[in-house]
Amino acid sequence: MIKESLIGEFEKIVGKENVLTSKEALKAYSYDGTTNWIHEPDVVVFPTSSAQVAAVVKLANGEGIPVTPRGGGTNVSGGSVPWHGGIVLCMTKMNKILKIDKENLSATVEPGVVLQDLTLRLAKEGLFFPPDPQSFLGATMGGIISENAGGPACVKYGVTKQYVLGIEVVLASGDIVSLGGRTLKNVVGYDLLHVFISAEGTLGVITKAELKLNPLPPARNTIVVVYDDVAKAGEGVFRVLENGVVPDKIELIDNWVINRIEEMMPIGLPKDADAVLLFEADGVPEAVEKETEKIVEIARKYGAKDVKIPKNADEANKYWLARKAGFAAVFGKAKTVLAEDVTVPRGRIPDLIRKCRELAKKYDVEVTVLGHAGDGNLHPSILTDISNKEHYERAVKALEGIIEGAVELGGVLSGEHGIGLEKQKFFNKVTDPVVVEMMKGVKTLLDPGNIMNPGKIWN
Amino acid sequence: MEDIKELKRVEQYADQCMKCGFCSFFCPVYQEERTETAVARGKNYLTKLIIKGEQEFTPEMAGIIGKCLLCKRCVANCPAKTQSDRVVVAARADMVRKKGLGFIKGFVFRKVMADRSAMGRYARLMQSFQWLFPKTGGNVRHLPDFIKSMGKRNFPELSRFFLRDRVKSIYSPSGKPRMRVGFFMGCAIDFVYPDLGLKVIDFLVKRGVEVVVPKEQNCCGAAVYFSGDFETGRQLAEANIKAFRDVDCIVSACGSCSSTLKDYQKYLPENEDTQKRYSAFGEKVKDVTEFVIDVLKVDPSTLKLKKEFEGKTVTWHDPCHLVRYQNIKEQPRAVLKGLKGITYAEMPNADLCCGMGGSFSVYHYDLTKKIAAKKMDGIKATGADIVVTACPGCMVNLIDNIAHSGMPQKVHHLLELAE
Repeated sequence: MIKESLIGEFEKIVGKENVLTSKEALKAYSYDGTTNWIHEPDVVVFPTSSAQVAAVVKLANGEGIPVTPRGGGTNVSGGSVPWHGGIVLCMTKMNKILKIDKENLSATVEPGVVLQDLTLRLAKEGLFFPPDPQSFLGATMGGIISENAGGPACVKYGVTKQYVLGIEVVLASGDIVSLGGRTLKNVVGYDLLHVFISAEGTLGVITKAELKLNPLPPARNTIVVVYDDVAKAGEGVFRVLENGVVPDKIELIDNWVINRIEEMMPIGLPKDADAVLLFEADGVPEAVEKETEKIVEIARKYGAKDVKIPKNADEANKYWLARKAGFAAVFGKAKTVLAEDVTVPRGRIPDLIRKCRELAKKYDVEVTVLGHAGDGNLHPSILTDISNKEHYERAVKALEGIIEGAVELGGVLSGEHGIGLEKQKFFNKVTDPVVVEMMKGVKTLLDPGNIMNPGKIWN
Repeated sequence: MEDIKELKRVEQYADQCMKCGFCSFFCPVYQEERTETAVARGKNYLTKLIIKGEQEFTPEMAGIIGKCLLCKRCVANCPAKTQSDRVVVAARADMVRKKGLGFIKGFVFRKVMADRSAMGRYARLMQSFQWLFPKTGGNVRHLPDFIKSMGKRNFPELSRFFLRDRVKSIYSPSGKPRMRVGFFMGCAIDFVYPDLGLKVIDFLVKRGVEVVVPKEQNCCGAAVYFSGDFETGRQLAEANIKAFRDVDCIVSACGSCSSTLKDYQKYLPENEDTQKRYSAFGEKVKDVTEFVIDVLKVDPSTLKLKKEFEGKTVTWHDPCHLVRYQNIKEQPRAVLKGLKGITYAEMPNADLCCGMGGSFSVYHYDLTKKIAAKKMDGIKATGADIVVTACPGCMVNLIDNIAHSGMPQKVHHLLELAE
């Protein structure tokens, strides 16, 4: 519990209206986008400037009170859940787009800016921020950077860390420092900027960011490729890439998800297909035309059952909407869903899918596969019910099998969700102890009192 | 548990929420407040705790549940199709049964709104004193300057005559009637826009419809049951069902009324019998915008534009109770695009709530203003002379905010445009 006098101090710093202590508010800040990770904070504080963040963190550090930074709370790792109570530092009121620099192709933003708001604003200038986590309607830039988020478009464009030029960050000490800068090239000593990207808020609070932007591509085409074997779809992904075409998105949906989508919003996906790949090519119109032809050719050559090209943007959007609805379809069909985020080198996708099917059979559970096949980041999801102990245990075994399998295939535990609380159990298992010690060393150096988002990443 | 029976009925909807948080982007209240208790995800989570017995109906909780426009933008955009509106309304209903309505709402809902003639008497009393309040613009008045320190609240001007006094009980077309329709007035058209009511009746009669206006009709009950007073809501439902028992179709020119009448079956049934009767009644209800296009099959290009609108640019504001409660989106646009002599400009945020939310605006006037400001940006972007809509609630709020923003636009009901 936090002393009453300290609440008064916070109110002095950020204003009374920006400090919440009611039981109801604390409950509403006890969760994120996951199902089962719940813990209430003692207070929720909404800063509106870097100086306020610094003052709050400094006070907390002096008293040894945990500080969990939070944005839209859309993360799916338990990362923004205040696991040891204390302060939820909610950045949603620091939501200004401070500058859009067309000459430098960059933007300066506060951490509470919602990605979709940024996207809409940038589109007016003919620009875009390429990383596209599918939580873009609620996800804020501070969280996107802290989780190093990715999405479908990462096949071609890469992930968040490739689009952050610099950040301003408040350290546990209360010091405000700037890391990186505004330039594309920057080799001035250690690259400390990238230590903070994907640190999940355990090293400091991001209070400002300089983002790298791209010009908005003038044309895009969608290609829908149907397979009667999901493993063949997996092969189709790297065959297209090795033949010299880099689409901006390659998404996979399996038979189970296809059928749920057709129940929810029929768009004419073939219900007997084992898998569908959605490709999108973007760029200048001539290149997009050529790439489309090439994708169709390669897909046919390597075992596609059918290829469809939507007639217009509206029709294409329907497919992307269906892909987006895929996750809801999965979550809507089971009491508990164990959603994985494993990522393997692209050439091993068919192996990973086979592994998932094997495990589903072995443990007699439903495992659905959809995800960003283009970058090897699949989201195998296991449908279960936590209140059915026997079933849940089997589901967890299947999950462990998937993770072990992915790592054996040369992959990683998490592609874009982060470790948070959700994947801690596996973190130590798959990470070299020396590396874990190095990470802890960095943490101790920057946050000796362990107040920044404690309880996350490692046990 | 008896004391949360309404929440128990909608538990499945709250359960559907998977906490993705996408609703935050669409919620007009969250967009202003940026706090988790403002948005559907937070409300679903807290009401689930009530169902589990881990949260009480505290005053704080009442505030959280009260702070929702019921605009249904979250519902329309929810990947899991969570019907958060039903969760909020059910929570209000259980709260009202447990804690009572509070003195003011209790008096207004149960003594005034539930009794049609009493409501008329109070409205007339208010009408005779409203000269005290200067005009803001259109038929909206505001508080006089000397008490403006209490807040710059505006409110609709009550008409010098009420529709109920002027309206006949039956209007017959010249030839053999195509069908017999009951006209549902609604409070706003009765007390604020009686001319609009007469205009709509005239429009229908000219197209061969026999219009009856039952005297026993009552308030639709929106403000009452959306605030959680299901008991009075059911009384009003019964009164209206009785009043309109022998018509083919019930037509309203107020989007909120038509949606409320249709939705008795969704929110209010207590048993199979009421479920059946409310559903049968709801099926006969049509908003005038859909009635004109879908039932009467009027070809908009044959309509004659009223002179005063010639050469004007018009834009359409989607009332929540039309676009999301009744899925009426294309019909009014078809009219505006088809009418010869005007130019139609689509508003960029046409389906954004105007911020009124019925009694929401009484309790959260500042929020109403902030939400309306975004609507004003959309209106400005169209360059329109006229904002057209089909809900008197929206009309009052739009007139108020257009006047406050010093904008030139006039606000009209769709049916006012054509002869």
